[in-house]
Amino acid sequence: MMNAIANLSPAFSRRRFLGVSGVLVLGASLPVQRALGKTSAPTTFEPNLWLAMDGDGTVRATVHRSEMGQGIRTALAQVIADELEADWSRVEVVQAQGDVKYGDQNTDGSRSITQNYDRLRAAGATARLMLRQAAAKHWGVGVDTVSAENHEVVHAASGRRLGYGEVVAEAARLPVPGNAPLKKETEHRYIGKPVTHVDAGDIARGKGTFGADFSLPNMATAVVVRCPWLGGGVKSITNRPTDEPGLVAIETLDAAPSAGPLFTPLGGVAVVAEDTWTAVRIARGLDIEWTGSPNQTFDSDELQQSLRDAVAKPGTAVPGSEKGDVDAVFAAGGTELSATYETPFLSHAPMEPPVAVADVSDGGCVVHAPLQDPQSARPLIAAQAGTTPDQVEVTPTLLGGAFGRKSKPDFALEAVELSKRLKRPVRVQWLREDDIRHDYLHASSAQHHRAVIDGEGKPKAWLQRTAFPSITTVFAAQAEAPAPWELEMGFSNLPYTVENQRMESAGIRPGVRVGWLRSVCNIFHAFSANVFADEMATAVGRDPIEHRLALIPESGKLKQPGQPAPPGHELDFARLRHVIQRVRELSEWDKPRPDGVGLGFAVHHSFRSYVATVLEATMDNGRPSVSNAYVVLDCGTYVNPDTCVAQMEGAVVFGLSLSLYGDIAMREGAVVQSNFHDYPMLRIAEAPATKVELVPAQGRLPAGVGEPGVPPVAPALSNALFAASGTRHRVLPIRA
Amino acid sequence: MGHKLNVNGDAVEVDVSGDTPLLWVLRDHLGLTGTKYGCGGGYCGACTVHVDGTATRSCQLPVSTLPGRTIRTIETLEERHPVLVKTWIDNNVPQCGYCQSGQLMSASALLDGNPKPTDADIDAAMAGNICRCGTYVRVRAAIHQAAGKSPTGGTE
Repeated sequence: MMNAIANLSPAFSRRRFLGVSGVLVLGASLPVQRALGKTSAPTTFEPNLWLAMDGDGTVRATVHRSEMGQGIRTALAQVIADELEADWSRVEVVQAQGDVKYGDQNTDGSRSITQNYDRLRAAGATARLMLRQAAAKHWGVGVDTVSAENHEVVHAASGRRLGYGEVVAEAARLPVPGNAPLKKETEHRYIGKPVTHVDAGDIARGKGTFGADFSLPNMATAVVVRCPWLGGGVKSITNRPTDEPGLVAIETLDAAPSAGPLFTPLGGVAVVAEDTWTAVRIARGLDIEWTGSPNQTFDSDELQQSLRDAVAKPGTAVPGSEKGDVDAVFAAGGTELSATYETPFLSHAPMEPPVAVADVSDGGCVVHAPLQDPQSARPLIAAQAGTTPDQVEVTPTLLGGAFGRKSKPDFALEAVELSKRLKRPVRVQWLREDDIRHDYLHASSAQHHRAVIDGEGKPKAWLQRTAFPSITTVFAAQAEAPAPWELEMGFSNLPYTVENQRMESAGIRPGVRVGWLRSVCNIFHAFSANVFADEMATAVGRDPIEHRLALIPESGKLKQPGQPAPPGHELDFARLRHVIQRVRELSEWDKPRPDGVGLGFAVHHSFRSYVATVLEATMDNGRPSVSNAYVVLDCGTYVNPDTCVAQMEGAVVFGLSLSLYGDIAMREGAVVQSNFHDYPMLRIAEAPATKVELVPAQGRLPAGVGEPGVPPVAPALSNALFAASGTRHRVLPIRA
Repeated sequence: MGHKLNVNGDAVEVDVSGDTPLLWVLRDHLGLTGTKYGCGGGYCGACTVHVDGTATRSCQLPVSTLPGRTIRTIETLEERHPVLVKTWIDNNVPQCGYCQSGQLMSASALLDGNPKPTDADIDAAMAGNICRCGTYVRVRAAIHQAAGKSPTGGTE
């Protein structure tokens, strides 16, 4: 491995060095006098995995989660710096490589703060205590008489103070204490405060390093032509070019299996060239014959019909979900409502298509790529490179969006394979067409709801069914039924009081790779449940918010079927009611709107957070148009309130894109869409003015922020359009 | 064959085939990676640069069409638009940041020609720039804030 590095340019070695955490030598035991003098001592104080401090006082905070726009590099550093009582301007963020020593590194499930808040506070607090201890020792005073204030240790009684850097050498010699005292909430200087993102300046100057911006000397670029259907391989290339200037190689990559596990690359023909355009041009001209696969006949319309059929008949009952006797109430009759909802496949389409740089050499492998989970990628990369994980360095670049797509490292494995074969660094660049056609798609779905309601629109009995291709199908060839954790995304854990209730599910095997997309199954479950609730309210002429509040207990916690939520993260009815009541105020819900303008409401609990959303919409020349969005978020304790607001603003746009445009279709195994002309995104003129309110932290456990803003958007839009025009939209996307 | 270009005030020559889009010349041959590839079809605006002062999709411009034309990229935007860049950062506009070079190049071209744009002007000028993270409300706010100040500081 060292040989591999020694061959690289000095510029690369430095970048690599900066990208590495945990390699800096701890406490070089210089005399404290030298550190206290003006000479810069090369001493580093590194009490734990998360921070290191140099003799000049510079703090390097290690962030082990990937940045994809959710502000995590800033937020995790805020937590460390706050408890360290550091001067923010002297904190540098270091991106961690994938390594089991950090614990879970999967940037997924909106849980980076939830999982790391306590331990990063402890990491910062431990260092702060050690700096105080070092100063106390130096001054010969009690540690209790030394305080830490903005990167300085202070002995108030004598007026003496020293910069953190000046006691680094002494601190580095101290044993690391356990149970360092944490700050009180009122003492926080960065936690809970709006801090500008650490990467904002680089990004606004075009200097941020995303996946494709990282390069190595002698690197070639590959564009891969993949089989239109899953599981097909290369049969022949009928026009293999030979003498093209700039062409390095044409390599055939093995086909993926036609069914799970589906984490290996898809295979195809890799055109490797000295520059990107040469690879693109040659790849586009290739005429390739593909081998067949059982997925070659896959058709999304046929799947959708199967999903509709599945929810038209009894499915598998969710264990523990049944209450009372639904069938008896239905048999007794009354005002009955029933509706079926449908949502299509979606592609993630992050603005940065998948891309990765790999260098396999001398028994080791270096990968720089926009990966959500560099740690789980590491053994897969090692296997592809033919080496062991300890010989693999995986460093996440900035992720140019991900939304779940980059939790899979298949694109990095392509680069590893090609670098191994060609014995030089290789960048694999996915084109937008590759990204749309060969994604791990968000599953299509159908839901059926049936209820008998009373005169106030409250359900006496409520039957709900859901059917969708499960994400578990990418793990195993035999998998079919939705997993409990998929059903717990807004289906089996509905927070409404119903005496007679049954929940049923069905799964269908798809002919494509299914994956996680920002908020996952919550998208379709929140859509159907919130629209159906709105249908119950409007059926009896009741205000939808009044009606919804009447379905939710005043207090207490939801007892959901299956695994109970972790303590402190149970669905709390009072908190759910609170976000509803706040969005009613924020949106001036009770103020009459002009004819043709509708307000739509939806609420959803996901990723441990509570979000209520109201959209104001009209039908404008036969097209839905949203003028205003109002969002209230309760995510418990938050680190960066401005990031929370930004995530809600972005979630509205993301949710409207999928509500109005998101639709991936498959014919004969191949995705029909290919780029933003036929898979459109919301543009600026369509983005509503957005007001966001954040519920005060109140000492509650931190919860998710990146995903929970998305689920209420589509149902709020559907409900707003019903209020505006009287037409009920039960199928996404809503085209007119 | 060699193609002579003027990029960010520098005269440069690149030896590539004439159909190579400016985007890839900037990224692969001139090391200017601030300009991003997003779609290759002129739909998303991530590759926006200024050509003779006009916001232009560099993925659609063959290098052979560019001799004699002045190209500016995100890397030197701050020299001419320090207020816009600072406003962008102060408003925490970027999320993932991948589209932001293009957003800034479109926004700066708008302000060059229209120092006090209305919402409708912004909608028109920024229509070609997709942001998947959904930073549009902040893009709009930052343009309004920067408008009315001289690009290099001070209020007009």
